[in-house]
Parts: sequence; structure tokens; C-alpha cells
Amino acid sequence: MKTGFSVFLAAFVALGASWFGLVYAPLQQLGRAQQTVILHSTDVWPPQRTGDVTLGLQVYRASGCVACHTMQVRQTGMANEITLTDLKDHPATDFKEFLKSLMIAPPLDACSNGILANLDHWDGKVPVTLYSGDDGSVVAALADKLKPAGVKTVTGVLTSGPDLARGWGLRQSVAADYLYDQPVQLGNLRAGPDLSLIGIRAPDLNWHLQHLYAPRSLVKGSTMPAFRFLFELRKQVDGKSSPDALVLPPEFAPAAGLEVVPTAEARHLAAYLVSLQASAPLYEAPFTPVTAAK
Amino acid sequence: MSDEIKSTFPATDAEPTATSSAEPLWNVLIIVLIVITLGLLFFGGVYFDRHGGWFNPKVYPPYTTLENLEAFQPKSGAEAAAAQGKKVYEAVCGICHGVDGMGKPGQAPPLAGSEWVLAKSVNRLAHIPLAGLAGAVTVEGKEWNMNMAAMGAGLSDADLSAVLTYMRTAWGNKAGEVTADDIKKIRNSLGGHPQPMSGDQLKSMPE
Amino acid sequence: MNQSGNNTASANEIDASCRVPLLALFGGAALWLVLGLALGFAAAMSFHAPDLFAACSCLTYGHAQAAANDLLLYGFTLPAALGVVLWIFARLSQAPLALPIVPIVAANLWHLGVLIGTVAILMGDSTGHAWLEYPRESAVLLFAAFLLIAVSAVATMGFRSNRDLYPSHWFLFAALLWFAWTYSTANLFLLSAHPPRGVVQAIIGWWFANNILFVGLALLGIGIAFYFLPKFSGRPLPGTDYVLLAFLTLVFFGAWCGVPQGAPVPAWLPAVSAFAAMLSLLPVLAVTIVVWNIGRGAGVKCFGGPLCFIKFGILSFVATGFLYLISSCPSASRVLDFTWFGFGLSQWQLLGFMGMILFGAIYEILPRIMHRDLPFPRLTQASYFCFGIGVLVYVLPLMIGGVVQGIKLGDPSVPFADVGALVLLFIRASSLGQIGLLLGALCLLLNVLVLTAQWKLGLLKIVIAAVKAPLSASAGAPGSTSAGSPLSTSGEVKS
Repeated sequence: MKTGFSVFLAAFVALGASWFGLVYAPLQQLGRAQQTVILHSTDVWPPQRTGDVTLGLQVYRASGCVACHTMQVRQTGMANEITLTDLKDHPATDFKEFLKSLMIAPPLDACSNGILANLDHWDGKVPVTLYSGDDGSVVAALADKLKPAGVKTVTGVLTSGPDLARGWGLRQSVAADYLYDQPVQLGNLRAGPDLSLIGIRAPDLNWHLQHLYAPRSLVKGSTMPAFRFLFELRKQVDGKSSPDALVLPPEFAPAAGLEVVPTAEARHLAAYLVSLQASAPLYEAPFTPVTAAK
Repeated sequence: MSDEIKSTFPATDAEPTATSSAEPLWNVLIIVLIVITLGLLFFGGVYFDRHGGWFNPKVYPPYTTLENLEAFQPKSGAEAAAAQGKKVYEAVCGICHGVDGMGKPGQAPPLAGSEWVLAKSVNRLAHIPLAGLAGAVTVEGKEWNMNMAAMGAGLSDADLSAVLTYMRTAWGNKAGEVTADDIKKIRNSLGGHPQPMSGDQLKSMPE
Repeated sequence: MNQSGNNTASANEIDASCRVPLLALFGGAALWLVLGLALGFAAAMSFHAPDLFAACSCLTYGHAQAAANDLLLYGFTLPAALGVVLWIFARLSQAPLALPIVPIVAANLWHLGVLIGTVAILMGDSTGHAWLEYPRESAVLLFAAFLLIAVSAVATMGFRSNRDLYPSHWFLFAALLWFAWTYSTANLFLLSAHPPRGVVQAIIGWWFANNILFVGLALLGIGIAFYFLPKFSGRPLPGTDYVLLAFLTLVFFGAWCGVPQGAPVPAWLPAVSAFAAMLSLLPVLAVTIVVWNIGRGAGVKCFGGPLCFIKFGILSFVATGFLYLISSCPSASRVLDFTWFGFGLSQWQLLGFMGMILFGAIYEILPRIMHRDLPFPRLTQASYFCFGIGVLVYVLPLMIGGVVQGIKLGDPSVPFADVGALVLLFIRASSLGQIGLLLGALCLLLNVLVLTAQWKLGLLKIVIAAVKAPLSASAGAPGSTSAGSPLSTSGEVKS
């Protein structure tokens, strides 16, 4: 590196390459994304947001919620699965024998050990998972062969991972989930739980309002700051609470004659939180929803 | 203001210079580093090949390739039935009616575009494989005078409904699906060992 | 000690030409450092007494922590580093700082931008993007100020008499380009009227954060350290081939790291980043080898002086570099993502690596440019111990707590509340370190402020003497030349 120009050139090419690969290329690939379609449905994803919810996103941004909460869920595994749900008067031992007899033909012979091992300690109760793994043809073959036998089975694609096992999501977050977020706030610290599915875990607006006002009234030991500045302390009218007022447990309730009323910002934020329901299966994040839509 | 500059310890105020190491050990070490670079490049390349999804925008980790993603797409009810229906059709009906549904002259009428297949109600259509057809029938303006055995009598409700659904949605046909219940009802109404129907009998049935 | 001959005058001249620009940059930087650490402490209070700021929206965790992070980066690290860069370039060029008025204007613009940005974040106008929370107005001011300083730095570099480049030139010159390009791109995309839709915003954010916190700070810190370490030891910087390898691999491979492994983006992006993280092992290794080479046989005692800071800093770079790359491995990333580990690591990079190196550089440069001793030399040692121990007490519990948090979160049977309770101990322990950091920063601020005050007082005395001189001359005393000599040795006088 003898001259300033050569240093400049090296730095320029290096940063330029990284700009091309990590800014320009994703911009081309993902920047013009449109709504996508939910798997096996004609509904689009993500749904358009209403006014309240859009304002709530801005309150989320302004309050710095992204400092403690993430909105992205990871998935570590996926499986094609077939589960026996109803033996329909067939004894369990008969079923086991029948299953063994099926294991001679491909594609079932390759996984026969695994499938039979699943039933090793089977107590005869249903539901029991017969096969959970990568091979979809095994699942299809088993389903085919078991149908004429008269038992009921359920097949599906299952997702797994520690985040999903905590109930934070039904499948991993993908780019399509953030199409209408402005700004996109994925978060990178889980001082508080992940919020991708909070609208399903806590669908009640009032729960969210109370949680914002007094987090420790709902979650013991929570270190979430109380957002009391999003609420107004008002005198009660005629000694009665207005319908808007929060219902709080005694240790958190205001003094007698006063009531806590959420401001518009608090309402918008609660509406936004309730709207966070990343539950739709997509092509790039497939899974079989529990209640299959017909 | 003094001209003497006091630091916390004595140091020259000369500008630093740089030298390359003359010791042979250090030259060997740099070759080791270059070899490590090449090794890392190779393993990194292998890693990217395995986990990179080759720039496909639909492949997210833990899926590794598009095929991997495809293998985990759940089949919807309609899709599964259509796949099954195609399988059974090609084994049972396609021999005479053709895998392409165009029929074979002197053997079996076409099903693609056939008004019998596309009729809104499945009543008339379902009777044909369940009871058989004997005598003349008009299909797409042409007359066909053949005998068809009750090819669907041996199929289960689910399989026959899948076959009829497949017929109604393949080869450009666009009609609604046939459910196993529909077949069950019609089978029950026919009873055991029904006689083959004739074209007029079919036409006289409600739609 | 002093060199005889024309070098001494030259060095004095160079130092004097840097005086006002660097005072402007360092003074503001020291102030913002104290404010940033104080806000960070207020944020940490949220884990001791969550209801403390319930009525005050400015100081809730989300506002205070974001403001503190940006103050550490934009308020302290960048202006202080740019000041040091200007001085190093001037010294290496053996020419006075080119266009000295330019960095003075730029410093004021910069500090104004930081002020506007900090107030905006505390008032709720943050943009929501990590490390880019300053609104448009502030970002424009910062970028304009940066360009001005870069112009002066490049001009100074261009006027060098010795046309060969010293390795610090490579790192620091590249750092100028780095910040200019990444900051402008990130702000143009993310803060524009029509930002890109969806997760592309997050990708640009990660690209920016990596290129600033890992590559950018590494370029600045290594460049500064590789200037001072040989200077202190009196021996040349050994192994320029290693330094060259470190520079090239850092810029070519380091720039591609940053996309987290579990991110909601197509698989090729995290795979590319993992690939780059593997390769970024090389610059860290190469720097380690060079530092070890400098260190062995050096035996220069530092007595808690500037050399100590720089040694601590460069060792922190080695440690944080390895940890950053380890945390980019997919298997480690699964455990460490979204935990306090990443936060602790970024604080170690900012405070332990850059902070300590900048402290050492400022303590070394200030007496030289002011031509007077530090007013409280003992505070240098005090701030070394306070800040150094403070950094370790601050970041190590956070990182250990982060590992514990990651392991527990990976076990779905452990309720989230229990994980939170377990990690709380570590967070509370780490806030003790913040007290040490504040004390160390106050030592620096005290030194800088009092030094500035002494200098300004000195100027005032000159002005008063200059005003009095004609009066005493008219009163009959023979031509008083007391106004003359201080002016010639202090260079330009700006009041």
C-alpha cells in the first residue's frame, strides 16, 4: 500500500462489494415484494392495517419498545408427521400387527425400525405419532394403506424449535410478515418476550392497557417499566368509573375518587399489539394449521 | 506555557516507522495464515452450498434448498384427492377413455369437454360407473353405442369420488368436486347388482 | 524528550495548529461521554426499580438506552477518533493541519447534530432503527460535519513530505471512506420519504451496524493503536506484512458479516455472513500476532498512563473480535442471539476497545497540543483504573448473563419469568460497573474542561495585556513587547 490511491481503491472495492451483496442485492430481491397468498387459501398476507393499528406502530417506535422486545421467531426443525387418532374398535395389538405387515414394501421398509420403535412403549391410547420425519412419501404411503383398514389418521407438516415451543409463534418469521411495517422493528434483545403472536396469546385490549399501566399487576416479577405517562388520572364523575377507565387490583389502583383512563396513544398501541398475529402458513413457511380450513 | 512536553513517562517524539519482520519464523507464519485463508475459503464455500439455498428468495433456514422446502408443503384436501383420483383413473378408466380423456373411437367416448362430466349435478354422471351403461348415448354431438361395465362398483366411495373429481378438473374441465358422501348415497339407492342403465334412463333422472 | 533541530519547532507547530479543532472535538466528546454514561445508568435503573420513571417518558428504558448508545457512538467515539485522526495525519505528514478552520466549524456542526438527535430520541422522535435513531436533520448535520473533517484530514495527508504511507494511514484513511459511505447509504435508504418495504430495512440496518461497530471501529482503533504503540516503545512497528494482511482481510471479509443467523430473511444472507465471519478470523489473528510481537521484549512500563489505556484497548479488540466471530457461528448464534450477550459485546467494543484507546490518545495528545501539562495528572491513573475496571464489571456480567439467558431460553420448559429473574442478578451486578465508567469519564471531562479554561484564561491575559500595552506605552514605558512572544509560540490565537 504505497499510495493513498491504492488504499482508497482497496477500501472502495471492499465496501462496494459488500454494499452490492448486502444492500443492493437484497433490495432487488426483496424490495419490491408484494403481498403473498396464504397456503391453500385465497387470502392475502399480510393483511392491511387499519388506522388505529398503524398509529399504534408509531407509538411502539416512539416508546422504544424495540429495545426489549423482538418480533421475530426462529424455527429449527420441520417434520412430515402422521398421527393415529382413532382406532375405531380395533384392538391396539391387532393394529400393531397390521402395521408390521405393511413395513415390507417400499417406501415404508426404510423407516420400519423408526415407526415400530414409536410404538414400542405404546399403551394403546390415541393419539400416537406413527412417523415424524423428513420423508413425505412415507406419510402418504402410511395414510393410503391405513385408510382401508378403517382407522383414522391425521397427516400434517409440523414445525419445531424452542421459540415455537414457547408459544411465541406457529412457524418462523419470514420477510412477507414485515411488508407493511414502517419502520421494521425486529429487535435484538429479549428482555421481554417475543411479540410476533402476542395478539393471539393475549387478545384482550384491556389486558394490554392494564399491562402498559401496571405491568407487575399482571406479570409477577416483570421488569417492564410502567408506562403511566400513556394514561390520564382523572376525577371520577359522580363517584362512578367511566366505561373507559381501567379496572385495577387494589395495590395498583389510584386513590379513591380517581380513575385511570387510557389516552389515544395507549389505545393505539394496544390495538397494534392485538393485531400482531403471525399465524398464517405460507409457501416459504409451511405448516398444517391445527384447525384446517376447508 | 513551557516548550517542554511532559508525558507520564519518557518517550521520543519521533514519528513511528514500520518494518517487515526479517525473522524466518514470521515468514513461515504468514504462509500458514495464507493457507488458513484458503482453507477457510473452501469450507466457507461448502457451508454456503449446503445452507445458502443458492440465493432463492423463498428458501429460509432451516430449509436448505427449494426441493427441501417442497418436501414439507402440506397437501390440502383437494390436492390430495386429485392426486389419488389421477392414480385410480389411470389404472381403471384410462385404458378405454384414454389417459388424456379424449376417448378412443369404437371404444369409449371422450370425457374432456363432455357435457355428462361437466354437468352441475353429479347425479347422472355417478350412476354410470356404479351401474354400468348399455346402449346409445350422445356425447358432444356424437352418438356412442357401446357397453360399459360397472367399473366403479369395486372402488371405494373415496376412490370413486376422487376419480370423478379428477375427471371434472382435468384436461381443461372446470367443474365442482364430487364427495364420497355423494357416491355413498347413490350407491345405497342403487342397491346390490344394479342393471346397466341406458341413455334414456339416465336422461330421465333428475339432474 | 525533545528533539533538537528544526523537528522540535515543527512538532510544536503541528501540535499548535491542531489545538482549537481538537479542543472543540475532544471537549464535546468528553461531555457527551459523561451524558451518555449517565443516561445508560438511568436506563439500567429500570432493572432495579422499574417504576422509577413511570411518569417521565424521557427516561424510560427505550428512550434512555437508545439515546445512551447513540451518545457513546456519535457523541464520544466518532468525534474523539476524528480528532485523533487529524492529529495523527498532521504528525505523520510532518505538516500542520490543513484548513484548520474547517474542522472547527465541523466540530460545532457535529455537536449540534448530536444535541438535536439526543433531544429527539428522548422526546420520542427516534427513528426505530438500531444505531440510526437520530432523525433526518441530525443525520444531515453529522454527515456534513464528517465530510468537512474528512476533507481536512485528506488534505493533510496529501501534504505529507514523506510520500510513503505508514500503516496507520491505511486504516484511518479507509475508516474515513467507511463511515462516509455506510452512514450516508443507511440514512438515505432508511430515513428517506419512501424507504424500502419490509425486511430490507433490517438488512440495511445490520449492514450498517456491522460496518460501523465491527469494521469501522476496528479500522479507527487499530490505526490509532498502531501509531501510538511503536511510538511509546521507541521501536518500529513489526511485521508490516501481517498488518497488510490484517487490513485487507478486515476490509474485504469483515464488511460482509452482520446478518444474524436466525433472521427472517432468505437463507443466503445468513449463510454469506457466516462465511464472512469465518474469514474474518484472519484480521483478528493477524492483529493478535502483531500486538504480541510488539509486546514481547518491549518492557515499557506505563504507570497507568496513556500507554496502559492503549494496551487495554487493543487487547479488548482481540477479545471482542474473537467473541463477535464466535457469536456469528450458527450453533452459537442459536443460543446467543437476542440475549444480553450481544448488548454487552457492543458496549465492550465501544467503551473497552475504542473508549480506552481514545482515552489514551487524548491524554497523550492534549498536553502536546496545549503546550501545558494536564491540570490533574493523577486523575489519568484514577481514570485508568475506574474506567478499566468499570468496563469489565459492566460488560462481563452482561455477557455471562446473556449466555445463561440463551441457554435457559433454549429450554422451552423454563417459563420466561424464571429466565428473567435469573438474568436480573447479572444485569444489576453490571450496573455497578457503570458507576466506575462514570467516574473515569468525569476524570477526563475535568481534565479537558480545566485545561480549556486555563488556556482560555491564558488567552484572556494576553488580550488584556495587549489592550494594556498601548496604554502603558502611552504612559511612557519603552515599547512593551510582552504581547509579542506569547503570540508567536502559541500559533494562531482564536478567541
